[in-house]
Amino acid sequence: MPQTGNGSREQILQRVRDALTKPAAPPCVGPPRPIFALVGDLLERFQKECAITLTECTVTQGTESSREAITSILDSLPAGDFYIHDTPQLRSLIEGCTANRSVRWSSEGPPLETTQVSLTLAEGLVALTGSIVTSSGCGGRGASVVPDCHIVFATIDQLVPDLEAAMALIQQRGLPSKNSYVGLITGSSRTADIEKILVLGAHGPRRLAVVLQNR
Amino acid sequence: MAEVLQRIGLDVFFPEEQTCCGQPAFNSGQWQEALPVAERFVRVFATAETIVCPSGSCTAMVRSFYPELLANSPLRSDAEALARRVFEFSEFLVKVAKVTDVGADFPHTVTYHDSCHLLRELQLRTEPRILLRNVKNLELVEMLRSDECCGFGGVFSVKFGMISAAMSETKCGNIDATNVEFVTSCDSSCLLHIGGILKKTGSPVRPIHLASILAASPNSSTAARRVHS
Amino acid sequence: MTTAAQEFLRKADEKSFDLRHRKTIRQGIDSYESAHNKGKSRFSDWEAARDRCAQIKAEALSRLDQYLIQFEEVVTSRGGYVFWAANSEEARNYVLEVAKKNNIKTVVKSKSMVTEEIHLNPLLEKNGIEVWETDLGEYIVQLRNEPPYHIVTPAMHLNRSDIAKLFQEKIGGVQTNDPTQLVALARRKLRQAFFAGEMGISGANFLVADCGMIAINTNEGNGRLCTSLPRIHIAMAGIEKIIPHLQDLATLWPVLATAGTGQHLTTYCTLIGGARRNDEVDGPEQFHVVLLDNGRTELLDDTEQRDVLRCIRCGACLNACPIFRNVGGHTYGTTYQGPIGSVLTPHLRGLKEFNHLSFASSLCGACTEICPVRIDLHHHLLQNRRNAVNSGNRPWTERLAFSFWRWMMLSPRRFRFFGWLGRKLMKAVRMLGLSGTRLDPMYKWTKYRAAPDFPAQSFREMWMRNHAANR
Repeated sequence: MPQTGNGSREQILQRVRDALTKPAAPPCVGPPRPIFALVGDLLERFQKECAITLTECTVTQGTESSREAITSILDSLPAGDFYIHDTPQLRSLIEGCTANRSVRWSSEGPPLETTQVSLTLAEGLVALTGSIVTSSGCGGRGASVVPDCHIVFATIDQLVPDLEAAMALIQQRGLPSKNSYVGLITGSSRTADIEKILVLGAHGPRRLAVVLQNR
Repeated sequence: MAEVLQRIGLDVFFPEEQTCCGQPAFNSGQWQEALPVAERFVRVFATAETIVCPSGSCTAMVRSFYPELLANSPLRSDAEALARRVFEFSEFLVKVAKVTDVGADFPHTVTYHDSCHLLRELQLRTEPRILLRNVKNLELVEMLRSDECCGFGGVFSVKFGMISAAMSETKCGNIDATNVEFVTSCDSSCLLHIGGILKKTGSPVRPIHLASILAASPNSSTAARRVHS
Repeated sequence: MTTAAQEFLRKADEKSFDLRHRKTIRQGIDSYESAHNKGKSRFSDWEAARDRCAQIKAEALSRLDQYLIQFEEVVTSRGGYVFWAANSEEARNYVLEVAKKNNIKTVVKSKSMVTEEIHLNPLLEKNGIEVWETDLGEYIVQLRNEPPYHIVTPAMHLNRSDIAKLFQEKIGGVQTNDPTQLVALARRKLRQAFFAGEMGISGANFLVADCGMIAINTNEGNGRLCTSLPRIHIAMAGIEKIIPHLQDLATLWPVLATAGTGQHLTTYCTLIGGARRNDEVDGPEQFHVVLLDNGRTELLDDTEQRDVLRCIRCGACLNACPIFRNVGGHTYGTTYQGPIGSVLTPHLRGLKEFNHLSFASSLCGACTEICPVRIDLHHHLLQNRRNAVNSGNRPWTERLAFSFWRWMMLSPRRFRFFGWLGRKLMKAVRMLGLSGTRLDPMYKWTKYRAAPDFPAQSFREMWMRNHAANR
């Protein structure tokens, strides 16, 4: 249990309760209404948003073309370790793709500092924003942020329309109770702290690539 | 303003006992000093059917802030009723009198400054522009960021003069860039402040209140006198 | 006048006519404005989004105790620690204690305004702990030994050559002005820190009650690395950061991104509910959340201004504020700058010393207009002014001047007389050539502006003359 107890818990809660005995005026708002237009074709929207956020999105038609897409990405990268989310699906998928690269599976431990590229599954994809939904169950926390390039393998049935659907998915699958980390990733790491000029690869991956298999 | 209202066929009364709406004290946090002045205002205009004011900030004071200032006053409901009968000049013409062309003629290039209270408290952006576009021979040129504060802010302009002046420099820079002859607005206080910087920097642009433009016509003799120099 | 107020005026004087500063900030703001407008257009109804955010935060505040308890229950049920800090000192001491008990020598920090508020870094450093700010903007100002300039973009007052010179001096490496290479330099340096870091300290943009998770938003990924690599993670947040449901993030996340930077979503929208689980690959061994009061319950108690606690620290009001644009973030001399800083600081640090910030505004209302959670910012500035007057924290000369003003305004005769007197006086000052000099009673005006030409007659006089003529 906590080193120094829980501090001024009772004092703070009492002050909160005392304050709340006095009601404040509610915000002056209009009637509830939608804030985003309905998303039409999920795949089309996802691709459009990926283009805006500079996420590379390759749509493939089957396992073979997915393998080709992954190989093509690997070939475009400098030499370096390959960290892979250890699941039967990915074990089967990357057969033959990993030549010339040292592979470290997530079951062996966290990614090393020298990791060049990682490959993971995703919990879902969000069409409205071009985001991937991920968790510590997708190869751990480091897999999506330590390497220079993060490749996500997903299938088209994982697409959900918008953020409300994404949050519902997270809750329905019980992700918070099974994973210490859950998140949305939209594009690669970036900063505009220098003169508002966009630079990719601040601390996390410079490239985020989604290989989206159309089952 | 009175001329324009009379020209469109309205009876104009000027209650001579009026002094001030109380905003300077209110904005300085001196609500105890502002309250009696505001209450007096409410009494002075109690029997007026409709009140028209050539100032966005004074109108906003009565409409937006009187309910708060007079919350504990016996005149509170009178103040609330008054708030519904007070209109800024351009608002009155367009939305109440439903007149968008007052027969004005002002053959000059003009840019318009959105004063803060008018824009954000009273939500009036298009009304002054509609009126200006219907003035004969007037060319309206929009400046960059017409809705950015000119920096007056009442006592702020004196208490924090350096910030006020810097804000005004930016505003006057945007005005000068339009190469117009006149800058207009619905608030004299903004025009006073902008005019002060324009004159100091030697800019040829001159400030003029919207009402003076609307009063201008070949027959009007008061137009020339109303120009702030 | 108090020292803080005098300092403010002095710095404002320096910065207001610093044209280089004005230009740099203007460029940053223009860039923000264009991105922000684009971001708003992605919503089908931006006003509806603001409404929803205001409602979510208002609901959270209306049952603040219940949601805080719910949050604590879920976090502790998973083995996390929740510490309630009444003030800065308690919060600082807790972090130091955890660091000492776990032999921490290196800390990596993700951006957290709350840790600035409590002045955490100096205490850790005094105790021999190396602290690395990892948000690029925060890292830059840390190297310069300055506070953050803006709550979202801490280094917006610097251009690339300022940063290049700084890096040359402090990091070394290849001399370059190119932003891409500068970022690469910082990345290499900070990557070493991430991997050496033993404790990660983060803030939290939101605390989600129903699932007991903290939400952290970053674009750089530093928030991810700080909370993945080190063996201990401490998250610190004000108690007002609580929101009721995970589903609320479907609205708050895109609104925060739009208001903050004009993006649809921040790159990394992170939720953390605890330390690494037994079946997980990596992650910290301990997870602590410090809930900070530090004056927030007093603000909660002020029903007129309770909505200030809705703030999601997006920084939009700073970007909209013409005062901020001209004096810049450092002039305020406080952790929180701009309109939110001017409203909040008197509550957190005292009305007596900081009410001047609420007076340093033209009340243009641009802040209220842009605020995504509909805080009535400029009205609160007015209320702070009133509170300052009523609590005797304004100079007696001001009260006297307004008493005189009131006396004048309660009589049309006096009003007319003093108006006439004023016009005559100004005419005399002009004729004597004293206009703009220190002998000019209107010096404070004429220092920066030409004196106005007062008309020969007041409107009143003109009206009476015309009416007499018409009778």
